[in-house]
Amino acid sequence: MHPFTLSKAIDPASAISAAQDPHLAFIAGGTDLIGLMKDRAELPERLLDINGLPDMDHIEPTSDGGLRIGALARMSDAAANVEVRRRFPVISESLLFAASGQLRNMASMGGNIMQRTRCPYFRDEDGLPCNKRQPGSGCSARYGLNRTQAIFGWSDDCVATHASDVAVAFAALDANVIVHGTTGERSIPFTEFHCLPGKTPERDNVLRRGDLIVAIEVPARTEGRASYYLKVRDRQSYEFTLVSAAVAVAVNTGRIMSARLAMGGVAHKPWRLTATEGELRGLSLSDVDALKAAIATSFTDARPLAHNGFKVELGQRVALRALQIAGGRA
Amino acid sequence: MKVIGRPLSRIEGPLKVTGGLHYTADIKVAGAAQGVIVSSTIANGRTRSIDTNGAERAPGVLAVFTHRNMPRMNPTPKPWSHLHPHGQSYLPLQDDQILYAGQPIALVVAATLNEATYAGTLIKVEYDSDPPVVFGPETLKEAVQPPRFLWPVSSSVGNADKAIASSPVRIEQTYSTADRHHNPMEPHATIATWDADGMLTLYETTQHIFGTKELVSIVLGIPPEKVNVVCEFLGGGFGCKGYVWPHTLLTALAARELRIPVRVQLTRAQMYSMVGHQPASVQTIALGAATNGKLNGIRHDSVSPTSVFDNYIEYAALCPRSLWGASGGIATNHQIVHVNRNTPTPLRAPHEALGHFALESALDELAYAIGIDPVALRLMNDIEIDPDSGRPFSTRAMRKCLIEGAARFGWEKRTPEPRSMRDGRYLVGQGMAGAIFTHWRLPAQAQVTLRADGSALVEAGTHDLGTGTYTVMQQIAADTLGLPAEKVNVRLGNTRLPKSHPSIGSSTMANAGASVMLAAKAARDKAIELARTGEDVFVYSNVDDIVVRDGKVVLEGRNFEITYEELLARNNISSLIGDGNYDPIAEGPKATFSFSAVFAEVHVDPDLGLVRLSRFVGAYDCGRVINPKTARSQGIGGIIWGVGHALLEQSETDPATGRYLHQNYSGYLVPTSADIPKLDVIFVGEFDE
Repeated sequence: MHPFTLSKAIDPASAISAAQDPHLAFIAGGTDLIGLMKDRAELPERLLDINGLPDMDHIEPTSDGGLRIGALARMSDAAANVEVRRRFPVISESLLFAASGQLRNMASMGGNIMQRTRCPYFRDEDGLPCNKRQPGSGCSARYGLNRTQAIFGWSDDCVATHASDVAVAFAALDANVIVHGTTGERSIPFTEFHCLPGKTPERDNVLRRGDLIVAIEVPARTEGRASYYLKVRDRQSYEFTLVSAAVAVAVNTGRIMSARLAMGGVAHKPWRLTATEGELRGLSLSDVDALKAAIATSFTDARPLAHNGFKVELGQRVALRALQIAGGRA
Repeated sequence: MKVIGRPLSRIEGPLKVTGGLHYTADIKVAGAAQGVIVSSTIANGRTRSIDTNGAERAPGVLAVFTHRNMPRMNPTPKPWSHLHPHGQSYLPLQDDQILYAGQPIALVVAATLNEATYAGTLIKVEYDSDPPVVFGPETLKEAVQPPRFLWPVSSSVGNADKAIASSPVRIEQTYSTADRHHNPMEPHATIATWDADGMLTLYETTQHIFGTKELVSIVLGIPPEKVNVVCEFLGGGFGCKGYVWPHTLLTALAARELRIPVRVQLTRAQMYSMVGHQPASVQTIALGAATNGKLNGIRHDSVSPTSVFDNYIEYAALCPRSLWGASGGIATNHQIVHVNRNTPTPLRAPHEALGHFALESALDELAYAIGIDPVALRLMNDIEIDPDSGRPFSTRAMRKCLIEGAARFGWEKRTPEPRSMRDGRYLVGQGMAGAIFTHWRLPAQAQVTLRADGSALVEAGTHDLGTGTYTVMQQIAADTLGLPAEKVNVRLGNTRLPKSHPSIGSSTMANAGASVMLAAKAARDKAIELARTGEDVFVYSNVDDIVVRDGKVVLEGRNFEITYEELLARNNISSLIGDGNYDPIAEGPKATFSFSAVFAEVHVDPDLGLVRLSRFVGAYDCGRVINPKTARSQGIGGIIWGVGHALLEQSETDPATGRYLHQNYSGYLVPTSADIPKLDVIFVGEFDE
């Protein structure tokens, strides 16, 4: 590994100030960062351990009936939290389908949504051409092996997908990322937190230098309880998503009052099925053909690559199954 | 009390689960420097320049070796011209050629691992790069007929093509399998240390200590007696540790140049290019049969890739030579394609596993085409004479494997029509296959010492891959000497011990085990002979009436006995040594193989395309089982390898760069516990002398 220093953050203000240094990175669980450093995909010279920052690992109800999940809460703590499970099963399930028990015990919630793509070209330890890793070097996956890559929102400069499962649930629920920065605290809507690759695929999200994620807030949602996370992957455990769906619905006498759908494994960010959500309103959960047609409206702009055409059909089937299971919980 | 046949737990088990066991890379050698290999990022071309200035000036760096300053090595014979321990013939850091991605181009030696790793990243390389040749539909056309190594490249009994052409039922199918990597938990590692007398000790992750000794002595140009190789414990081998790879040679030479011990452990990513792999295959099967399913002819042709410099053959078309009968003829052939990659090597289960997938799939096509049960089809084509050699099988419990396996599985409840079995939203699929595996006959030596304290020591230069060799050798010696198991100590994995064969092809129990049995018998016979030199009743007894049990020499029925301790003390002898030399003829009068029949059930989610194993029964005829616990572990381990092969494992090569993608456990998918249901393993074989 390249040489780096490790120090401990004392308080948020000094951490934010220290992070003005472009060669400094925050480290919490380290479950992604250490791998990135070993693969030389990231080469920070200074690591600032934020695990000791006060009051950032709480999971607590908010006054409006939502939940605030501290950025330093561990994935396993959030997954097991009674309030999380009661109000938003989709959050708990998306966490439990991710990584392994050991990793979930280490990985922080703030770090989870910051994790970088699993694109094998990006992760290669000797560094294959990759614009995300070395801007301007080209995208190996665009015309290389791209079975696992995006079908929505990609550019010729990057076809990678986002790796987080719980981010898909947060996107579906319109959560907010609470950030402390040099200008104070601000709240970023989750669907605007991650970026599409465009011409700057090296940029994963809208954070500014020095920004510290302190919490993720999930507002009260009528759809929250009838929610479900369906993850499709080649093996049964310990694998990143191939295609996944986070769905939350409000149902009245068998009819969908409102629905929230987001998909993982299909784009550079959690992919909201906005058109579908509109079409689903008022449909009967038992009218499968109508549900399928509603889901299809969000897939008309899918642009599959050479090896991932199956994701267009599979994505719709995954969305349907997740919708039916979530609806069954209403 | 006899211990052969009892499910003893592994002797070293408690050490393993408490972290107390030292694998090769854990061994502390005083003053050892750490080496890190830097590898090529291109697959074809040459290095135009390698700038090592930055690396040489980095903290802690002792030396940077490239082709410019690495000492020259003696060339070795082509590895696959015979059973040679060299993984590949291309020697590292000898010239500027690049023949495959991940090829070593530099070795950095520093005081610490971190320093060596970091310095390696400071090396600047300029390449003259040519497009890589990768295996695929285009290069398949470049397939050539290779020279022989392990077995004949092609075989023909009768006239298969004519028999198939004239058959009323014909099946022709093409099957392909993916490149796969061994991925043992323990990456390869070498620690090399030279003493003042020029004696080289290599601590090495190897299934072949004596082969390593021989190969290193050739390449380094030193007498074999100046090389000692040690490997007491392995964290999995699966074939890739059966041969010598570049890191071993580089480490030994670096240690000699620097006059200090050097340790090198491959990274997980380097495990994909610095050691072997199982090559992909494209196999074509043609079957001709009578309308009742009786086979008339089998043709099996396979093409697989190898490196540009070696002729490795994956013998996928080996299994039809002896698995089923075909009255009109059986023909097989192998071809290879030279591409820019490291040389492939056997991977559990080598050769046969790929071939069975194709052959047994084609047999199922035949069963379906004529409407016969797949088990019945195989029973109908079971044989007693090996078609390939014309010799009778020594034992062949294939029928028993099929019948008992099917009964255990509940095969009779299966309905053959596709999509006819369901479990809720899932489609249920059930399938089966027969299998055959080569029996390796390899010379092995061992020594057993009976000691004055009544204990015994087994010494054999064989290996424990994590499979329980220590424990089963203890069981064999204990029963032969009439000692309780805990009175027998076992030493393995050192070339100072009696010479044994490579632990490859599931050969250790049958061959090294036989040498231990012979050595224990020799020690026992010396003890009996010693007893008969005394002045008591033993002298007048018939030697056939004397037995050993409970640590004593016993005259049956006469109430006369003497403990080993008393016997040795009375004769003022500190130990009795028995030597075992198992030297089987290469080919016996009978055809010797292991057999099995396996039965699987999967649940398929037809909407999401997911296939998950739900049940598995494996019925095995592998001769006498010495330890049911370690044997069962081998059975379920083999099944899990099969699950990985069938459903998950594949190494993909980037077509533009010729590099393996996702060189890690995250991207290369091996089954997790969640992928494996309860596995049912039964042994139906008998002792096959």
